[in-house]
Amino acid sequence: MYSDYKTRDTISAKVWDKKKIKRGLFVTHKDGSTSYVSPKDLNIPKPNFRRLYYQRMFGGGPPKHKQGNRNLSTFNRFVRGLGEEEENFSVDWDWRIFWVLNKTLKHEPEDPKFIVKVQADYQKRIYRKADLMKQDISKAEIATRHALIEWQDEWLPRWEHGLL
Amino acid sequence: MPSLSGKTNGCQGGNMAFSNAISRAWNQFFFTGFSGESLGLLRMYIGCGLLLFHTYQFVTVLSLNPAGSMYYFIEPIWYFHLLGIQYHIPALSFAVYFLLMGATVAMIMGKWTRTSIIVVILCIFYLKGVRDSFSGDVHHRYIIPMQILMLFLLSKCGEVCSRDAQYKQPSPGIQEWEASWPIKTMQLYVALFYFWSVIAKVRVSGWVWFAGEGRIQEVLIKRSVRWGVTGEGELVKNSLSFELAQHPELIQIFSHLVLAFELGFPLILFIKSVKLRALFLAGVITFHISTFVLMDVNFLLIPFVYLIFFDLVPIHAWLKAQASQIFGPRPSIAS
Repeated sequence: MYSDYKTRDTISAKVWDKKKIKRGLFVTHKDGSTSYVSPKDLNIPKPNFRRLYYQRMFGGGPPKHKQGNRNLSTFNRFVRGLGEEEENFSVDWDWRIFWVLNKTLKHEPEDPKFIVKVQADYQKRIYRKADLMKQDISKAEIATRHALIEWQDEWLPRWEHGLL
Repeated sequence: MPSLSGKTNGCQGGNMAFSNAISRAWNQFFFTGFSGESLGLLRMYIGCGLLLFHTYQFVTVLSLNPAGSMYYFIEPIWYFHLLGIQYHIPALSFAVYFLLMGATVAMIMGKWTRTSIIVVILCIFYLKGVRDSFSGDVHHRYIIPMQILMLFLLSKCGEVCSRDAQYKQPSPGIQEWEASWPIKTMQLYVALFYFWSVIAKVRVSGWVWFAGEGRIQEVLIKRSVRWGVTGEGELVKNSLSFELAQHPELIQIFSHLVLAFELGFPLILFIKSVKLRALFLAGVITFHISTFVLMDVNFLLIPFVYLIFFDLVPIHAWLKAQASQIFGPRPSIAS
């Protein structure tokens, strides 16, 4: 999990927001109404919900996927039947977010409460390594990232068999 | 021809001597050093460590509402995928946790030992699968305990210091080789677990991982900033990690220490002195505590498995003597 590292000039750190996590993901239903889906609604532990909120919503997989996609040798690619640029782990997280939220909350595609849009955002602080060397942390760049994912009707055929 | 045949014989003799030396070293390593009692006691002590470890690992699952929503996994772990397990049944997780604790207690007592170990393994598979399938992360904290459980399962650990042994016909007892190979294999595995983690770092990222401005600095910053910053620009938590991240020269020293201890871990297999072994492992425990405090790397309780590096017979005898001094019958005032 910790073996994956790429040299960069900056370090970008996400800032967790406890209030936002407690409130949950901002969702829009098929009938146009909006609500929040919290870790309590999904009945999952907070650390796992944080990963959904800060990683999967932004298309990020678990560290194991990143590690498993890096520096694969020719032999390794051959054994797994992977092409030159093909990734070992490749997951369509957007579709899975809709599957998880709607299925858990018992919304079917024809229901007016079916979730069709999900939003999340977070703040990140970006530190330049050169500034850290000088112990000058006042120059941290603060940026906000937004994620907005929308339901695609082309996913309907997948609905019957889910992830299996 | 005689000279040729003599040469061949000499060569064969040399090969034979070499293979005998290897065979002796192999036998010496894997099949000597521990008694049946050591193996039985190890089962008991590792079991006690597991009771704490299980709870620590699955406490987040136990914090859920048993009657709450049944969550559909976003990325079912591979064996859930194979078995067609798509969603979480909260009440079942509670039931499996209690079964796990019960089976671990049975394993400690040596009651239906093999069956108990199988139940423990299956429960861990289920609960770990649930925990990791919620968001698709795969945590490896059970790799070492699972390997130890597998070796207990294959060994005769249930035939000593156990309830099972009380009801069995008197047996000749466990031979030294029968008690030693599971423990020595556990030791070898744990040593290689640390050794291979260096190989993984170098293979995936290269030596730059160990630079002062490498992976450790990155994790220190990320894990300290994520808890937020106050209005005055102070970190809410882990300010020590943030401070340390600004000293790459110090990080460089720490990363070299990590490299040295992970590469050097297999040396523990050849350290005869118990004190030196304990000192080395104390260093490793310090490493795990530091990474937990500074980087939130959650291998905090894994050191309980280091018991495999010691013969527990004298330690158990000492603990028993201490316990009997504290809890044993005391002379009455009248006498």
